[in-house]
This record gives sequence, structure tokens and C-alpha cells, in this order.
Amino acid sequence: MTLRTYIIRRLIVIIPTFFFISMVIFTLIHLAPGDPVIAMVGRHPMSYEVMEKIRKDLGLDKPIPVQYVIWVSRLLRGNFGYSYVSARPVINMMSEKVPRTLELMLVAEAVSVVIAIILGVIAAVKHYSLADAACSLGALIGYSAPNFWIALIAMLFFTLWLRWLPASGTQTIGIEFASPLHAILDHLKYLILPTAILVLGWTAYLFRMVRSSMLEVLRQDYITTARAKGLKERVVIYKHALRNALLPVITYEGYSMGFLLGGAAVIEYIFSWPGLGQFMVLIAESRDYPTLMGLAMMIALMVLVANLCADIAYAIVDPRIRYD
Amino acid sequence: MTKEPQTKSERETEEVYEPSKATRIFIVWRKLKISELAVFGFGIVLILAVFAVFAPIIAPYDPNFMGTSMRPPSMSHFFGTDARGRDMLTLVFYGARVSLYVGLATVALEVAIGLAIGMISGYFGGIIDEVLMRMTDVILTLPTLPLLIVAISMFEVRSINMIVLVMGIVGWPFIARVVRSEFLSLRESTFVEAARSIGATNWRIIVHHILPNILSTIIVLATMDIPWYIFYEAELTFLGFGDPNSASWGVLLERGHLYLSSAWWLITFPGLALLFTSLGFNLFGDGLRDALDVRTSGR
Repeated sequence: MTLRTYIIRRLIVIIPTFFFISMVIFTLIHLAPGDPVIAMVGRHPMSYEVMEKIRKDLGLDKPIPVQYVIWVSRLLRGNFGYSYVSARPVINMMSEKVPRTLELMLVAEAVSVVIAIILGVIAAVKHYSLADAACSLGALIGYSAPNFWIALIAMLFFTLWLRWLPASGTQTIGIEFASPLHAILDHLKYLILPTAILVLGWTAYLFRMVRSSMLEVLRQDYITTARAKGLKERVVIYKHALRNALLPVITYEGYSMGFLLGGAAVIEYIFSWPGLGQFMVLIAESRDYPTLMGLAMMIALMVLVANLCADIAYAIVDPRIRYD
Repeated sequence: MTKEPQTKSERETEEVYEPSKATRIFIVWRKLKISELAVFGFGIVLILAVFAVFAPIIAPYDPNFMGTSMRPPSMSHFFGTDARGRDMLTLVFYGARVSLYVGLATVALEVAIGLAIGMISGYFGGIIDEVLMRMTDVILTLPTLPLLIVAISMFEVRSINMIVLVMGIVGWPFIARVVRSEFLSLRESTFVEAARSIGATNWRIIVHHILPNILSTIIVLATMDIPWYIFYEAELTFLGFGDPNSASWGVLLERGHLYLSSAWWLITFPGLALLFTSLGFNLFGDGLRDALDVRTSGR
């Protein structure tokens, strides 16, 4: 089987998984207590008949399986529905939130991968050295510290005491009237704290992973062979060892997407970063079914795509893998 | 793509000498002692347990006693006082009770469910295995924290036990996976075949022959999961999905962060408590893994 058929097959497997997840989430959300119509009406008193009419218009009087089928058939036509609360198309709301989350996550991921690989290689090559001990200890603390607490402490230091960095939102109000360069620099300032917190935690995980994987590879016979035939240590480490050591790291990276999203949600909430995570926390208890479903599906989709990317990357990097 | 844990059957069949239970525990302890960090971790866990159990005796004040509010740390209040004038040190001690309970109870539930499902799946195989493993895949695919939030918002009344229940139900798939793969390999081993040939029942084979072999793996996984659930409870509470009436460290952090600009001690100490708890369990878990010779895939 070629790589292409492998990718196509993996894509096909995603579809039933996606629908199964949507079914589970749909049921969970609709079984939760609370009436969306009462939530919509809010404090304005309304007659029972009008509320019943709204319920009928929204299709909420039908059984849950029927509602699910209606939701899916709309989804297949590209219609995510409209928010019960703001009446805005759900797809528009998502397209505002997704880039924010992706920005935060991709920057944090890129930075932590680079740091983790560099430190991981150093720690593994100089096993049992002072550098190894220092990095491992740092990783242990980074791995053990609750990241939302670190975020609060960072806010305390850098925002409240030193007043170096802003800690809420994505840009200073009114910055859009300044030059584009200023706007970008201003945005970067807002990006630093949340990203740094995420980097701290993720680097710790990845570092442990890279280090142990690298240590394992360095013990292999082919490394001894490479050294024996007189290759430079640099070549042995970066070309022979690191390449193979990164294989499990790639898979891990892809498969930890869900975990990372969860961590990012808390950070987004603390720093008022208007991404998917913050949005999720804010609306989780509202009974805005279309928005909740749209959000859940967006998160599921991101995780599934990340898993798929990990599988494909693995298949490309490791020619030994069997496509089945 | 989890790594299949290495089978231990080959090594074990060669062993003739069977040490007693006490000896085996002693051997594990001696191996654990090689790593000073592991002993250090164990020490932290032990101290926390003492704090939790003897909180009423050790705590300097009554948890409901209200003095002057918002006092910074001083000799009479080592950790300061909160907005209601309660002693933070006392609250952190009492918080250890709730948080450790959450960690232990969730892990117990998670292991119970994971073990049952993993065992059924791995031992019987076939269509049951297929269905159970697809279910496991789906839960493993979904990000834990959002899933917990969705599940918790299904309940109107929030209690600490309800959160434990939800976390246990969401958390089992990883354990189930590991148990299943161990069962798959042990099922085919010679000693299980021998047991079957002398007419041992399925139940007897599972409980007396296979289970003892995967016990160490489960212990290590469970130890390393405890801090996770303590964190998740704290995070959920912090985000407003917890039990506001409990006295966990998460509640302390959630209330404390409202006074971030005026009272740094309100968030610093409960957070440090969380950090040390997690550090303790992680170090202890790492040491146990080496001492019990277990291979766990990265998580």
C-alpha cells in the first residue's frame, strides 16, 4: 500500500469517528438540565404560548434523535445554525475564535519544540552531567506545577509588580489607529505572557520525552557502528541519533493536541484571550445548543486533524512503518 | 499509538524461587531507596497525608475562626489571612484533605473501571473487545478538560463526589488500554495455558494468574494519575465548574485570585501546596516505575 492510499484510508476512518463523537456530545448537551427557551427569554416575562411557539420554531419539541438528524443534515449542507443567544451564525463566531487559539498554540508549540529538542539532546548526550541534572530538575518542576497557578504568579510579577507586560486581551484599545508596526508590536506584548506559560509546561513534557528517547537511541548498535567507522560526533548525534529519537516525539506531539487544547483553555480564560477555550468556559453552562455543538465539533475536528497529521508525519519519516 | 508494554512472562517462568509477599515489598523498597528523589517524593506524600489526616490537631486555628481579614503572613498567621479573616495555613491543611481525597478517590474509581473493561476486552477479545476499544478511542481522542466541563454542566447540583465520579468516568480509557494489552500478551503465555489445562476457570485465571502480573503496572499508572486529578479538580473549580462549598485548594485559588492585586499570599500558598503534592507523587511514581521495572508510555 502506498502512502497516498494510507492517507486516504485514515481520512475515511475519521468520518465515522467524527459522527460518533458528535452524537455523544449532542446527547450530553441536550440531556443537560435547563431550558434554552427560558434562557433566551431571560428576564422578560412571556406567555406560555409564545414560548411554545419559539420551541416549535427551533425544533426543540422533537425527540433528541430527530433533532440530531436535523442538525447533521444542516451540517452536511454547511450550516452550523445560529446562536440562540446572539442570533449570529455559529460559523462566524468560530471563525473569530479559531485563529486566536491557533495563534497561541502554534507559537507556544513551535517555541517549546525547539527548546525541548535542544535541551533534550544536551541532557542525553551529557548524561549524568550538571546540565542534565539542572534541565531534568527544571522539567520536573515545570511538569509538576499547575499551569493556571503559574499564570497567576506570572501576572502578579510581570503585570502587577513590575508592570512590564499586559495580562488581559490581545491588544491595547485604540492601537488600530497607530501605525501597523506599532499594532503588531503591541499585539506581541500581549502574546508573551500566555505563550510563555504554555511553553513552560509543554517544554517540560517534550523535554522528558526527547531525553529518554534520545538516551534509548544512543544505546543502539548502529550508533556504535557510526562512531566506529569514524564519523564526527556531531554527525552521529544529529544525523543518526536525533532523527530516530524524534519519531516517538512526533506521534506524541500530534496525539497530545487534546491535552494541549485543555491547558490552553485555562490560560485563555485567565488572560482573557478570546479563543475557543475562553469561549467554551464562558458558554458551557448556557443552553445555546447550536453554539455549543459548533464549538465542540471545532475542538473535536482540531484534535482529529492533529492525530491524522501525526500519523502521516510518522509514516513519512519512518519508512519501516506498515500502513495498516 | 501506545507502546505495547513489554511482557514479563518469559522472565518470570524461569524463576524458581518465589519470595514471600513481605520479602517482595522489602525488595521493592530497597530498590526504591536507591533513588533519593523517589524517597524524597514518598516523604512529601507522607507529610501531606499526615497534614490531611491530622488537620484538626495540627492546624493552628479553627477553619471557621474569623479574625482580622487580609493580613499578610506574620508570626501569628504564617500564611496570612483571607478576605473573611480565616487563617490561610489552617485552610491549606484542611484543603489537603479534600484535594487528596479527590485524587485518591478518582484514581480508585478510574482503576476499577479501567481494570474491568481492560480485562474483559483483553481476555475475551472478539466483538466485545472491538466495541469497547472503539469507545476507548473516542474518549481518548476527546480533550479531557473540555469533556469534563461538558459532562459537569449536565448536573445542576455540584458536589465533590459528583466531580470525582465524572473524572473517574472520563479517565479510565488509558488504564483500560494498558490492562488490555497486558492481558492480550499474558493470555497466550505458558503459565496461563498450564492453568487452563488443569481446568482452572476463567475467573481463577484472571484473578490468580494474570492480575498479579499487571499489578505493578497499575500501581505506577495510578500513582502518576493522582496529581492529575487533583489538578483537574482545582482547574475545574477555578473555572467555575467545581463545588464552591468544598474546601479544596482549587476553591482557595478561585477565591484568592479575585484579590490578586492586594493579597499575593492568598494564591501563593495553595498553589505551592498543589506544586508540592504533584512533585511528591511524580517523584514517587518515577521511583516506583524503576523499582517495579514497569514500562509506561509517555503521556
